[in-house]
Amino acid sequence: MRLTKPTLFTNLPVTCEDRDLPGDLFGQLMREDPSTIKGAEALMLGEMLTLPQNFGNIFLGETFSSYISVHNDSIQVVKDVLVKADLQTSSQRLNLSASNSAVAELKPESCIDDVIHHEVKEIGTHILVCAVSYTTQYGEKLYFRKFFKFQVLKPLDVKTKFYNAETDEVFLEAQIQNITTSPMFMEKVSLEPSMMYNVTELNTVASGDDGESTFGKMSYLQPMDTRQYLYCLKPKPEYAEKAGVIKGVTVIGKLDIVWKTNLGERGRLQTSQLQRMAPGYGDIRLSLEVIPDTVNLEEPFDIICRITNCSERTMDLVLEMCNTRSIHWCGVSGRQLGKLCPGAFLSLPLTLLSSVQGLQSLSGLRLTDTFLKRTYEYDDIAQVCVVCPYSSNEC
Amino acid sequence: MRTRVISVSAGRSSKMDGGIAPAPRPVTLDITVEDVTEEAPQPTSQTPGRELLPQVDSIDLDGGFVTPQEDSSATPSDSLMDKLNDQMMESVMISDSPNNSEEDEVAPMDSLLDGAEKEEDASGDENGQSEIGQNTTEIKFSLEEEEPGGFTEKVDKDTQGQADTRVQITACVSPGGDGQSPSDVNSVEAAAQEAKGTNPKDEAVPVCTIFSQANQPKSLVPDGFQPTLIKSPSFSMGSAGGGSGAVTPSRLTAPLVCQPSPSLSKFFNDNGQVNPASDFFDSFTVPSSFISISNPNAEIPPGPSPATIAHTPEHQLSSTSSTISTPGGPPDSGAPTPSSVFAPTESPAKVQLPPPQAAPTPSQAATHPQPFNQLRAAFSGSDDPFATALSLSEVDRRHDAWLPSEETRKVLISVATQQYSPAYVESNRPTMPGLKFDNLQGDAVKDLMLRFLGEPAAMKRQVLTANSVEQSCTGLQRLISSKNWRAAVDLTGRLLTAHGQGYGKAGQPSAHTTDSLQLWFVRLALLTKLNLFQNAELEFEPFGDLDQPDLYYEYYPTVYPGRRGSVVPFSMRLLHAELPQYMAKPQEALDRLHNLKTVCLAILENLENGLAEDGSMITVTQENRQMSQQLWRSRLNRVMYSMANCLLLMKDYVLAVETYHSIIQYEPQQRVQLLSGIGRIFLQIGDVKTAERYFLDVETACQTTGSQPAHVTCVLMNRAFVYLSQNNYGDAHASFSEVLKNDPKNPVANNNAAVCLLYLGRLKESLSQLEGLVQQDPALYLHESVLFNLTTMYELESSRSTQKKQALLEAVACREGDSFNAQCLKLV
Repeated sequence: MRLTKPTLFTNLPVTCEDRDLPGDLFGQLMREDPSTIKGAEALMLGEMLTLPQNFGNIFLGETFSSYISVHNDSIQVVKDVLVKADLQTSSQRLNLSASNSAVAELKPESCIDDVIHHEVKEIGTHILVCAVSYTTQYGEKLYFRKFFKFQVLKPLDVKTKFYNAETDEVFLEAQIQNITTSPMFMEKVSLEPSMMYNVTELNTVASGDDGESTFGKMSYLQPMDTRQYLYCLKPKPEYAEKAGVIKGVTVIGKLDIVWKTNLGERGRLQTSQLQRMAPGYGDIRLSLEVIPDTVNLEEPFDIICRITNCSERTMDLVLEMCNTRSIHWCGVSGRQLGKLCPGAFLSLPLTLLSSVQGLQSLSGLRLTDTFLKRTYEYDDIAQVCVVCPYSSNEC
Repeated sequence: MRTRVISVSAGRSSKMDGGIAPAPRPVTLDITVEDVTEEAPQPTSQTPGRELLPQVDSIDLDGGFVTPQEDSSATPSDSLMDKLNDQMMESVMISDSPNNSEEDEVAPMDSLLDGAEKEEDASGDENGQSEIGQNTTEIKFSLEEEEPGGFTEKVDKDTQGQADTRVQITACVSPGGDGQSPSDVNSVEAAAQEAKGTNPKDEAVPVCTIFSQANQPKSLVPDGFQPTLIKSPSFSMGSAGGGSGAVTPSRLTAPLVCQPSPSLSKFFNDNGQVNPASDFFDSFTVPSSFISISNPNAEIPPGPSPATIAHTPEHQLSSTSSTISTPGGPPDSGAPTPSSVFAPTESPAKVQLPPPQAAPTPSQAATHPQPFNQLRAAFSGSDDPFATALSLSEVDRRHDAWLPSEETRKVLISVATQQYSPAYVESNRPTMPGLKFDNLQGDAVKDLMLRFLGEPAAMKRQVLTANSVEQSCTGLQRLISSKNWRAAVDLTGRLLTAHGQGYGKAGQPSAHTTDSLQLWFVRLALLTKLNLFQNAELEFEPFGDLDQPDLYYEYYPTVYPGRRGSVVPFSMRLLHAELPQYMAKPQEALDRLHNLKTVCLAILENLENGLAEDGSMITVTQENRQMSQQLWRSRLNRVMYSMANCLLLMKDYVLAVETYHSIIQYEPQQRVQLLSGIGRIFLQIGDVKTAERYFLDVETACQTTGSQPAHVTCVLMNRAFVYLSQNNYGDAHASFSEVLKNDPKNPVANNNAAVCLLYLGRLKESLSQLEGLVQQDPALYLHESVLFNLTTMYELESSRSTQKKQALLEAVACREGDSFNAQCLKLV
């Protein structure tokens, strides 16, 4: 018998008032019923435990427990009874018996009991093979087996999405969907980062130790419900230096999920290593080191750009600045920036002003590599809010 | 399904196949050992690591680089950002349970795969998934090689044995089928009962013929009276004494419909000769005894203390003021019975009163009490019937109060002011209930006995049936208390037939009285208790939303002069509201419950504002107000309980917990039970930590109230449940046993301790504990859940469980009534 957790018996309260025809009869019946809660008979959820009624579903990551009982139905004593319980999965065969020693003799009407546990690690068909060998009174050696087949299903559906921030941080959004048929309490969902990253969980509202979870007080997931977790990953300093050259597929880490269902039935899963394509920056990456968020109309302001050579070769760069409708660059366009080795970067202070109010996008930078005669265009690098300093006076 | 017992049958061991082959279970699937080997390679190809990885890769790369969604003009870095953001969610395979990689350290069991495992170990964390994937394939191959060998060997050894195993596997497997309907006994039961429910219907035809056969003796119908009059004494009084112009529609149509069924008349013949119907109803309304009602009149000066009598059962009587027709009547009370006096004076009073304008409520009654208050003042101190009638009407008003919908209210006002025209009422479709199926008489226990123990044993089973008790309310109560609910349902059917609302009478007009609706309530409540929800719903249908004008007393000014409010008892409204939740329509149940809650709140507010329950401007004494508030608060709580239960059924745990919480503030004495209940809800979800917090609250609550034994039990139980949730069955068992030290008869702790024993691998002890309990104290332990556990363990213990189950059946047969749920014996 599979030992899933027992369930609590629910009763069905039907009540009436003293004045009704049955008088107190219904009330009395309910008080006499052992499964009701004394003093609160109308409470549906009782305290009586009932054994599992059927095999139920078993999911990856849960523990399969089973009661194995070998009972001597006959009137003869049998000897040297050996019970072996194996679990045959699609890829392996595991021995689950607690003891491998034979029981010397088994009298009629007595039994050998064993409770086995196994954490299920594979999806698909599992077969529990119980083999019993024994010797009869007459010294005859006999052997029989029984098979119990069950399917292991997938409990969760996990989807991930990466967001790359300008600052080399990576945000991971994980959607976890409960695809079982029962509610699930998520005890732990955490991201174990790979060695390159530090991780911050962004799933609580208030900062501090006792921040409230974004999922409210009750942390459970109804069937087919999905929940989104957000994590912020920062490259560790030693790797961050080389951020400009992090390329291709990097391993981010894996999600560790622990859940519980009925009466603490526990399950645990980990995802495979989550991999992320580091954003490719082409040959030259242009990022901003300093930029004001608000500037005054028609007043020059300064920004500092960082230009990183992400290619494998040395570049000789020329900077051009093209004015747009609202953005006017100050300084000489077409100036030489000099040679830039692979992986090297240079900081470039620039001055510009805006002639239009509102949120303005910085565009119009052009870098030309004179070796290859290739021009790289940078538009919509960042936004600044342009305000009129006198507007308040006029009003 | 459940992995069943492996039995060593040493007796027949020489012919092993003979011993095991005849598996008692039906063969559903044919899975052979070969299947195992065949299947082995297939799933491996789906090994998570391998399949998944390519997926991840492709999405990642494609999304990032290859598919350019942007305009060509975009500069490289920017467009890239956008693309990355636009990238679709990708599904991540859950590779393995976390321990898989650490397995080698943990598990010495995989002797087969040692080599492969070590390789995997060596590959370590940093190796990509693909490598692990390869490893698993290697495993697969080695397996394939090994497996067939092992199996063929066996096949060679005993092909016969194989044939066995085929059968056996099938017997135990089928997890798919069972698994899909996880643990829904209810649904199964419901289905089964549905089937049963339909049976009676089919059989109903013969029953009807019995009725029609006996149709000849119509002698019983009292001459000159319409048959309806028999139905309720109060009715007859109304028509006899009233003579007022008001003609109820039911009376007009009555002769056509309401012929007392002859089968009933037989009972009446036995009982008495003169006026059987009234006899019959006396026995039904009077259980609290007619005498007792006249006595308080005589002895207690009713004016100052109407409260003292308020809750005594005899007030049931007051409702119908039916005493006039009681033949056994008032020999003891020299004075005229209250109602007989009450009625005549009442009706003139009503006629004289001008139709009320101000009060928006059906005001005929609203205006009444005032004159009576004056009367009461005049007569105060004397043991006069008016005052009693008044105090009774207080109780009536308190209990019957209800707020009809606007439309219904208009109709009721027009009835009260006698403006209605019959045509109007007709168009206003009256409530026309009738039995939808006739008798249920089945006795599942007896059926099982017939099947397993033979006819002689079955004949020994004695249960009360509808025929073996008084055909009255007393008989009904006997049937209910002896747990013969099916028979009780039958009896209500007969009694309702006497009301002209019998089988097939649905859709035909009939009069409603307090009695008939009480009968309906009992019938429907019993059907619900029997889990015959469909039947209950079917019979509830003609009542609509219980808001038809003819379900209010005001609709019958001549029959119930001066009485107001709902003829439908509150409990019936509640039942009506709860019913859909058992039939997978919880939303509908919630809607109805919210309606009830709204009315309860409105009535409480009216009382708060110094008005009567229905909002009319009657002066209500302080005592009465308090009692009324108490009553309506308890009703409100009951509705809240139902809502919380319904939410729990819907698995809306957040709201359910909130609702249970809100009950605590109304019912502080149930704090401990409710908090524990909430804690158990959290355990059910799996949130052990929160549950523990609630249980801690319970403990502090217990400390503040002092140590009652019940509370000590409760705390221990809660602790045991927490242990259980931590998979600590040993301590759970210890806690349950500790409860038994204080309260050795606690059935829950006994049962739960036995369950824990099973999880500890102590089947025999567990069995003997439960068996002992059932033998020692069958009254407590012949309970569905205990028997279910017991039979489950019998099945686990031995393949000869049927005999033991039959022994249980015998135990049940001599104690339990026909409402016993025989399914828990798992004999079929």
